[in-house]
Amino acid sequence: MTAGHPSQALLDRYATEVDLPPDALWAVEVHLDGCAACRARLADAAVDHAPSVGELVDQVWAEVAPVVRAEPPVRRRRWPVLSRWAAPASLPWLLTSVLVPFVAMAMDLIAATLPVDPGRPSVLLLVAPVVPVLGVATSWSRRLDPAHELVGSAPRAGLGMVLRRTLVVLLVVLPPLAVAGVVVGTAPALWLLPSLVVVTGTLTLGAYVGVGPAAVLATVGWVAAVVAPSLVWDGFPAVLGPDTTPVWAVCAVLATIAFVLSRHAFRHPVSYR
Amino acid sequence: MGGRSGGTEPDDEALLRRVARGDQGAFEEFYRRTAPWLVIRLRRRCADPDVVAEVMQDAYVAVWRSAASYGGSAGGGSAAGWLWTIAARRLVDRFRARARQEASPRPVTVEPTSPAAEDVVVGRVLDDPVAGAVRELAPELREVVQAMVLDGLSVRQTSVLLGVPEGTVKTRARRARLLLREVLS
Repeated sequence: MTAGHPSQALLDRYATEVDLPPDALWAVEVHLDGCAACRARLADAAVDHAPSVGELVDQVWAEVAPVVRAEPPVRRRRWPVLSRWAAPASLPWLLTSVLVPFVAMAMDLIAATLPVDPGRPSVLLLVAPVVPVLGVATSWSRRLDPAHELVGSAPRAGLGMVLRRTLVVLLVVLPPLAVAGVVVGTAPALWLLPSLVVVTGTLTLGAYVGVGPAAVLATVGWVAAVVAPSLVWDGFPAVLGPDTTPVWAVCAVLATIAFVLSRHAFRHPVSYR
Repeated sequence: MGGRSGGTEPDDEALLRRVARGDQGAFEEFYRRTAPWLVIRLRRRCADPDVVAEVMQDAYVAVWRSAASYGGSAGGGSAAGWLWTIAARRLVDRFRARARQEASPRPVTVEPTSPAAEDVVVGRVLDDPVAGAVRELAPELREVVQAMVLDGLSVRQTSVLLGVPEGTVKTRARRARLLLREVLS
């Protein structure tokens, strides 16, 4: 369009409030948008031809400078995309959830060196089905998200965000579980289906009582019904035996259906607790 | 101001990135470099110096507070373009606020003046068919194209800025497009 930079005469006229023919005006403005050198030339032109520009610039700076000195700029969000997928405040909680399988693994490794009866169940296997739930609690919980009032009223709030954040939680929590399982020698097949059932069940229940309370309920229930008895009596929990897989599979299907049926309940603020 | 010594100065985008880290010196330099241009550009859209000053103030405070959200050149825009986007929105906001208070918040419209005198000063800036097409556009169509294409405003923002209904903005934009297409083809 323009063969190079606008002439000095044109810039001088543009700096003043004198009218320009529209085509020249457009050409100058488009050029100035992208040319820092010509913006500098324009500033110099204003000094000579439009002193009111300089006055206004100084006047505005007198207003802006105190603000700049008084308050720091908003911190850069380092992972802007990531925070769309997980509540930033839930990070410490998530890390703790990741630590749980490793603590269980350590307990198992220590137990293996002790002369106790070899039939005792692996601690890791016992806690594995509820570890993802610990993370899921962060996916849609007011207590773990200081911005919950904003999040809860966002257009994306509800089922979509719950699923999105749950996916992230599972992606973060499941690999360490699997690694710890390999170290201890626990087959993932034994706990993967139960944890799927517990997670889906928690979300379904959460649709009506809040995801946070549902996660607490699921964890406490699991510890009371499975973990504690088998640790106290050193027995392998029947519900985690290899032959229970078909039962768990049926439960997973049922829980998924229940979840799909209750998906609309996530529009209700009750689910967000 | 001035004091531009040339050479290896950081460009505006680099300055903005430093502003995002809280560098007050970089912000002052960015202000000194861009403010005259922004004042001049705003003045061509709003004759009231008080409004221009308010818009400038709002825009630069917003730049200082949210420089971190400037996407950088890769994000699809120069620092000046980003600044203009902010300022144009603030200007529209001012007009909207004024429209609520008063009845007629008309901005300055470019009055057509005798073209011969300006041609001498301005010279040939655009190719002849383009220049002709732009000059032949009726003023009310031209201000719509200017607001929407040059200033990057939406239909709604344009309607606030120009003080005409949204439907009129759409009609004028369509007519301008047809006319320009006809002249340029």
